[in-house]
Amino acid sequence: MNRREVIKSVALMFGGTLSAPTLMAMNHWEQNSPIPTTSAAFSLTEQQRKIVAEVAEMIIPRTNTVGAKDVGVPAFIEMMLKDCYLQPDHQRFLEGLTSLEQLKFLELNEGERRGALKMMEQQTKEQMKVPSKTVPFWRLMKELTLLGYFTSEAGIKASFEYVQIPGKLENIKLKPNQKLYAY
Amino acid sequence: MNLNIKVTKENTFDAIVVGSGMTGGFAAKELTEKGMKVLMIERGKEIKHVQDYDTAMKQPWEIEHRGKTTLVSAEERWANSRFWGLGSEEVVNHLTNDKENPYIEKRPFDWIRAYHTGGKSMHWGRQSYRWNKQDFEANAKEGIGIDWPIRYEDLEPWYTHVEKFVGVSGQKEGLDVLPDGHFLPPMPLFAPEAYFKKVMFDKFNRPVTVGRVANLTQPQAIHTELGRASCQYRNKCARGCPYGGYYSSLSGAIPAAMRTKRLTVLHDSIVAEIIYDDQKKKAVGVRVINQHNHLVTDYFAKIIFLNAGSINTAALMLNSKSSRFPNGFGNDSDQVGRNLMDHQLGAGATASIEGFEDDYVYGQRPNALYIPRFRNWGNDKQTAYLRGFGYQGGASREGWNRGVAADGFGGDFKENLTKPGAWAISIGGFGEVLPDPNNRMYLDPDKKDKWGVPLIVFDAAFSDNDRAIRKDIIASAVEMLETAGFKNATPYDRPTHLGLGIHDMGTARMGRDPKTSVLNSFNQVHDSKNVFVTDGAAMASASCVNPSITYMALTARAVDHAVKSLKKREL
Repeated sequence: MNRREVIKSVALMFGGTLSAPTLMAMNHWEQNSPIPTTSAAFSLTEQQRKIVAEVAEMIIPRTNTVGAKDVGVPAFIEMMLKDCYLQPDHQRFLEGLTSLEQLKFLELNEGERRGALKMMEQQTKEQMKVPSKTVPFWRLMKELTLLGYFTSEAGIKASFEYVQIPGKLENIKLKPNQKLYAY
Repeated sequence: MNLNIKVTKENTFDAIVVGSGMTGGFAAKELTEKGMKVLMIERGKEIKHVQDYDTAMKQPWEIEHRGKTTLVSAEERWANSRFWGLGSEEVVNHLTNDKENPYIEKRPFDWIRAYHTGGKSMHWGRQSYRWNKQDFEANAKEGIGIDWPIRYEDLEPWYTHVEKFVGVSGQKEGLDVLPDGHFLPPMPLFAPEAYFKKVMFDKFNRPVTVGRVANLTQPQAIHTELGRASCQYRNKCARGCPYGGYYSSLSGAIPAAMRTKRLTVLHDSIVAEIIYDDQKKKAVGVRVINQHNHLVTDYFAKIIFLNAGSINTAALMLNSKSSRFPNGFGNDSDQVGRNLMDHQLGAGATASIEGFEDDYVYGQRPNALYIPRFRNWGNDKQTAYLRGFGYQGGASREGWNRGVAADGFGGDFKENLTKPGAWAISIGGFGEVLPDPNNRMYLDPDKKDKWGVPLIVFDAAFSDNDRAIRKDIIASAVEMLETAGFKNATPYDRPTHLGLGIHDMGTARMGRDPKTSVLNSFNQVHDSKNVFVTDGAAMASASCVNPSITYMALTARAVDHAVKSLKKREL
């Protein structure tokens, strides 16, 4: 596990998620130099938007509960990339999208699409072994999909036992079919 | 001249308190409760308890970027963003805009600031541990820095006084290393933590206890009469608590001071200088710059408490030059700004836990487990370093975010992430940092901020002793987690600088000798005894426990001495 991986795992442990800006701040502090100004314009083409939406929906599909598209995950992903990620992250994300465009992802059938994503998942594992300041497309896509879905109002209420004000703290035993508490 | 006399009268108080944070708030409370008419001066904006906690009741989906730091925020808050999560929309408006308030890093320093009513007391980790006897004696015994002019016994009654008012939840353990205090009922350890506690005691004879934390588990009259209520276990303290469930200047000290009707608060007002009167041979007031219109106003008082936070307090002293104090107020010893200390943070280990599948938790614990220092304590003797460290950490069941790094996608994957995951544990060290006169901050001779106040320069770094402690923090964490039988014990070591612990201290240390220290045993500036410094600047050493409760105890003790001295006409 390299250092960034460790930081990520710690962030996960404390209920956060891997955060590019946190890493960015860390770089700043390693180099003791100003954070590069933002303004890298980021937007997706219509075709790229469709791919993002389809991939997000394959990660979190509509089942007996709402899916990624139902709760607005595709737009959330684009907004997050634009507001929270730097140009090198954008570039790597776009490279991933380009490879799916080359595969003519939107023209593939369901099984072929699943195969393509499984292959990407395996490649990502290899890529993650190489220390890098950016995150591979699949990993970021998955992170932002889960973040967008599991923190959306409909996603939270469909998935978890949502308690805004617990009012007490106690050790309990799992009930049958116990859901995670969300607060 | 007549006009000035009128203004002078209006601007004159019994006491001035510079800063409204952890110690400024407490000083104002104690002073007003003892009958003093107090002016408290806060450099930042006003935040009203409850009504200005604008994110406190927001639901997860109402936080636009869901806890992530935006690029805009990372640029504006370039220093605050170095600490986990402080750039997020949940809290960012209550932390200082670093771009507007720059500082200079000759060597890197992570300066986390909160310029507003209550200061960092709004965001603190709330961990509240008394120092032990050895903490006060170690400098003298080991020949490090200078001896503390006080001992545990001097502070003991004031710890009790502070704990009662603040409300500290904790478990009495009867340990010399971690003296018990006046506690509200403890929060529970979780099932794997209770197991961990037993194994650590059986195998290492190391105690593990639940964190001692300034959250009300059972509010007393002293709390409820100020409008404070029980902790609701939301663990969203950093946003400000609408229930007053945790202690801050905002929820506790300031309302208590306001209740006396003897407190006046000035906001948006930067104290730039202490005014020293050569004839009277003492400080008579402070010079204040309005943040917005840059107008300068003088305020006067018989006694002045400096509680701006250790860095800004030292900067204020250094910026206050007079014919008596040409090197800065109270700086005959040249120790103002030196001996800058902090606690080491960001090193420890994580592990996964097998079993306990039926155990879960309702509510969010705003607290951790605590492992008191065991190194260089009792029979343990380390050759690689002096002093030691404690751990904070805890176990929890993994949530949906375990899916980010896991294989899979689709319906089953989605369904699985709605269930509690496996237990995991993380412990991280808080390492003591030794005082070193070469670790310092000072004022830049040329560069100034937009109010014409010199910029602060940091020139400090960890020592060999600090690094040796850090190495052991990591090795011992792995050893303890493995000994407990937890799996995949994995060390982590975020390369940090001084400052990230947000326990900056030591820049105007207490001591017995005016030649080597800035303050006497009652936190009075040597040779200008009507000025008291009772924030972290006063510390002659750092211990390894979280410092706020000690700062507050020093503050209450100093106020008691100040008011008694004033009544005896000694000041």
